[in-house]
Amino acid sequence: MDELELLKKDWQKREAHLPKLSYDQIYKMIWKKSSSIIKWIFYISILEFVFWAGINIGFNSPETMEELKAMHIHKVIMVLNIINYIIILYFIYKFYINYKKISFTDSSKKLMKTILGVKRTVTQYVWFNLIIFTTFLIINMYGVLIYGEEGKKIVEAASQDGDAFVLWAMVIGISIVFTAAILFLIWLFYKLLYGILLKRLRENYNELKKLEV
Amino acid sequence: MNKELEHRFVTELEDNQNIVHKVCSLYTNDKDSHNDLFQEITIQLWKAYPKFRGDAKFSTWMYRVALNTAITLYRKSKKSVKTQDYDSVVHKIKANDYDDTEERQLKLMYDAIKQLGDIDKALVFLYLEDKDYSEIAETLGISEVNARVKLSRVKTKLKTILNP
Repeated sequence: MDELELLKKDWQKREAHLPKLSYDQIYKMIWKKSSSIIKWIFYISILEFVFWAGINIGFNSPETMEELKAMHIHKVIMVLNIINYIIILYFIYKFYINYKKISFTDSSKKLMKTILGVKRTVTQYVWFNLIIFTTFLIINMYGVLIYGEEGKKIVEAASQDGDAFVLWAMVIGISIVFTAAILFLIWLFYKLLYGILLKRLRENYNELKKLEV
Repeated sequence: MNKELEHRFVTELEDNQNIVHKVCSLYTNDKDSHNDLFQEITIQLWKAYPKFRGDAKFSTWMYRVALNTAITLYRKSKKSVKTQDYDSVVHKIKANDYDDTEERQLKLMYDAIKQLGDIDKALVFLYLEDKDYSEIAETLGISEVNARVKLSRVKTKLKTILNP
């Protein structure tokens, strides 16, 4: 006899040995909190939205605005801010819609695809914020050097020595290295975080997807 | 109204709990994880229950939610893959030393299934539950042809594990 047929027979016989929960035990369970990965992704995403919104607000305090005005870059920053808020609202909307779509009654493949889709929205949101953040930093640095008290002195001193080119090259060089380092660290953090959370899910999804090729 | 829904749900789950226990026994290695997974599946079933219209059988609907929870749920496996491999090797040696009884053969097969990936396990599970290809395909979200191909591959895989 086929081994699997043998197994099938035994499998059905095994039902008798399965644990049996009472009505009350099951009733208690329906009020417990879920610990599924979806919950985790949800909490992490909320934290991310709050974190980046916080950074935005921090950079937009009245004092900062005054400083920006003094540096003649507040108009650029204002425009960037408006674009920023519109896009953030779009992301929150998209996140909500995608999150609502997660349904355990879908087929496994569709479910996994939806979950990965939610994660993709959050990743895009993080990248978008990083780009905005870097742009702010660069504009700020430019403002400080051109219009800031200290900056002016430095630039003047450098041009008197005839080293203006070296100074700007250094500024650009340092900003690139600094930005790259921050981006790398953040990228690594997310890679690890989602890598750990979603590794199995992604593997399973790819396995189902592979079948269709 | 809500009380009535709760009552209906718990009663139906109580009657059909075998399905959930079987999924748990395939996807977990110890009693604690079994209970954790059972609870998680119950929560997901309950959350999805208001959308359950009754046009499908409760049990059919349960298979899907239970498997989806097992496949997508994150949890640390207490045993690493290596120890599992080691265990099954030990069993194999023992099995060869003794008679090749049906009991031994079955033990080997259950061990072999435990070693499979999540998706393969789901396929074997649905096969053991006597589901036809169309239901397997629909549950996993693949075509019927692919379900057939995949299941026959899994069967071959199992046979090679059993008769190296």
